[in-house]
Amino acid sequence: MKKRNLVWILLLAVLFLASPLFAQAKAEAKPEGPIKIVYWRSLTGVAGEAQDDVVKRFNESRSDIIVEAEFQGAYAEILQKMTAAIAADDVPDVVLLDSPHMPIFAKNAALVDLGQYVKDEPKGFLDDYIPGLLADGYYHGTLYALPAMRSTPLLYVNGDMLAAAGLPRRAPATWDELREWGKKLTKINAKGELEQSAVGLTTGLTTAHWYFQGAVYAFGGLVSDEDFGIHLTDAPAMELAQLWQDMVFKDRSAIPSNSHDDFFNKKVAMVFGSTGSMGNVYSRADFQVIPAFLPGQKQNLVPVGGAVIAMPKTGDKWKQWAAWEFLKYFTGTESQAYLARKTGYMPNSYSASKNAELVAYYNANPQWKVAIDQLNYVRPQASVISLPKGTAILQQMVEKLIIANRDVKTVMEETTADLLKEYKDNY
Amino acid sequence: MSSQSRPPIEPLPKFKRNPMTRRAKRDAITFALFTFPNFLLLTVFVFWPIFYSLFLSFFKWDMIAPKKRFIGLENYRVMFSDPVFWLVTKNTLILSLWVVVVKLAISLSLALVMNRDLRGRSFYQAIIFSPTFTTSVAVAMVWRWILEPDYGLLRVFMRPFGIAPINWIESTTHSLPAVIIVLIWVGIGYDMVIFLAGLKNIPPELYDAGLVDGVNPVQEFFYITFPLLSPTTFFLTITGFISALKSFDIIRILTDGGPLNTSNVLVLFLYENAFRWFKTGYASALALLLFVIIMAITLVQNRLSKRWVHY
Repeated sequence: MKKRNLVWILLLAVLFLASPLFAQAKAEAKPEGPIKIVYWRSLTGVAGEAQDDVVKRFNESRSDIIVEAEFQGAYAEILQKMTAAIAADDVPDVVLLDSPHMPIFAKNAALVDLGQYVKDEPKGFLDDYIPGLLADGYYHGTLYALPAMRSTPLLYVNGDMLAAAGLPRRAPATWDELREWGKKLTKINAKGELEQSAVGLTTGLTTAHWYFQGAVYAFGGLVSDEDFGIHLTDAPAMELAQLWQDMVFKDRSAIPSNSHDDFFNKKVAMVFGSTGSMGNVYSRADFQVIPAFLPGQKQNLVPVGGAVIAMPKTGDKWKQWAAWEFLKYFTGTESQAYLARKTGYMPNSYSASKNAELVAYYNANPQWKVAIDQLNYVRPQASVISLPKGTAILQQMVEKLIIANRDVKTVMEETTADLLKEYKDNY
Repeated sequence: MSSQSRPPIEPLPKFKRNPMTRRAKRDAITFALFTFPNFLLLTVFVFWPIFYSLFLSFFKWDMIAPKKRFIGLENYRVMFSDPVFWLVTKNTLILSLWVVVVKLAISLSLALVMNRDLRGRSFYQAIIFSPTFTTSVAVAMVWRWILEPDYGLLRVFMRPFGIAPINWIESTTHSLPAVIIVLIWVGIGYDMVIFLAGLKNIPPELYDAGLVDGVNPVQEFFYITFPLLSPTTFFLTITGFISALKSFDIIRILTDGGPLNTSNVLVLFLYENAFRWFKTGYASALALLLFVIIMAITLVQNRLSKRWVHY
């Protein structure tokens, strides 16, 4: 008797608590009043504020849609939060994703196929986007995302430190030249302590691979091809890896660095950074900053990085419609020209790059033009970046080379094996 | 159930066949109603995740894909053949041992000092206890700055002694010690307070008796204080080990397990696999292993305690 009572109480309580779960139904008719949608954004500082500005402008221009921008952390955190949100069936309507992360969601049918909206737009709607940037929005031939905050890797140079070392106020053109300059820029005190170095080599979790890729491109090689052939043991990558290691341990003209603080504190004269960091770098530096191409060697070529903007599947027709309207606005000419001017990110379309205000701004601030100049030297990132563990494996490789000082050939072979294993694990 | 555990207050009348009185029934219902919310929460947030995690450890799943693929014991095979796993396990054990032993030694010494009549005692206690109620993320951020090799606070103190700057965070040899130091620093206050409570529980008559017998301070400590403090020490050892084995937040912010996993520990490695690389099955297998390790260490300590803990 007692036991049975208990069971009944438990059962009833469970049913009672669970009932709201079954009662959920999704509305089909256009709701009255403005449609509220949520946009998960990334990036901090100037690049974050500029996005909020775009959202504000959009909200002012529309009475039928209200976009709420929510900062959700760095790209890696958005990736985690999106995964959790999908599991909890509570996704945002629009999300900014690091471009290599998009396939992870597209593969699992978690993103809205944008093709259905594109076909209702005027003919040639997609033609304005710069093809090299639009390409990252496709997964197996379907368009899932539009280029949003696109960037290329740059070398930020402290002109004052170069001048103090008797060097010209410009960036080194090649890695050879950088190494040569390193001798003049490196200062070691009587105790053998490093007081000043030439360049900070990035070891950041999600950025180390990017600058390494850029340097490998400069040496005429690549990290991996479209068929996941790994080229780390080829001559260009090996040569570069050896150079970095020698600069850190022999010349001491390079140091491992995982933030721009070493640059702002004048510990290094040069540091890698995204075009998108330009606004931040200028606002924090108290010296002459020269944004420049990554050093070339055999060629000038950089991997294009940055974000794409996509619509997670919510199942709500009207919210998705509103999300598309916002997507168009965000990636549209005016917004992109504004974002490029504020942050240093590249304009994503032909019309935006010809936008009168932006052109005027570039003319007044020619150093900002480097982003758009570099558009001529971009190629997609290595295929292995789309593997969930890809960036982490490459970051470990950089650490093995420039922190642990391990034999270059062994490191490259290990990394190749790790990447192939991760590839097999996912395909 | 409550009717069985409750000693009968008066003998039940003989004519009643059902031993359950109205009162007892009502008690049972009340009991069920009161425990149910907790039971439900435990089920949803503790029991269910444990079993689900065990279940997931036999699958390959990326957390998003609609289908999970059954792979049997493959995750466990991968785990035991993964050099990073062994490194991380080793780090976890080294870290736990150092943190618990050093933390107990320092906090006991502090407690002994604080147990005396000291001017401004409560002020010092508050200072030493403060890391306990400080957000761990804030603690880790501040320590990052303290340990910064060129401009950090530690450097400022070391410079006059001519000690070369140490790049704690980005060094393969110093990142684990850095983590250990910070974890000890964070834990001292709490342990000290518990030790103080233990010291206050030692009957003063024993010290008086010792005084009469002419013990010196060392004897006093080893023959009176330490044995009578042993239940407290035991409690702090067990909880200290469990929390050290589970350390995550401070390491995540301080070194993020790097460089090259030299300061990585099991929980952080688990987190990386689950939420950075979406190897949910593998992460579940790791979680289960962590559960087994904690259980084993606690059981061993429990057994050993019979030799040195006096109640």
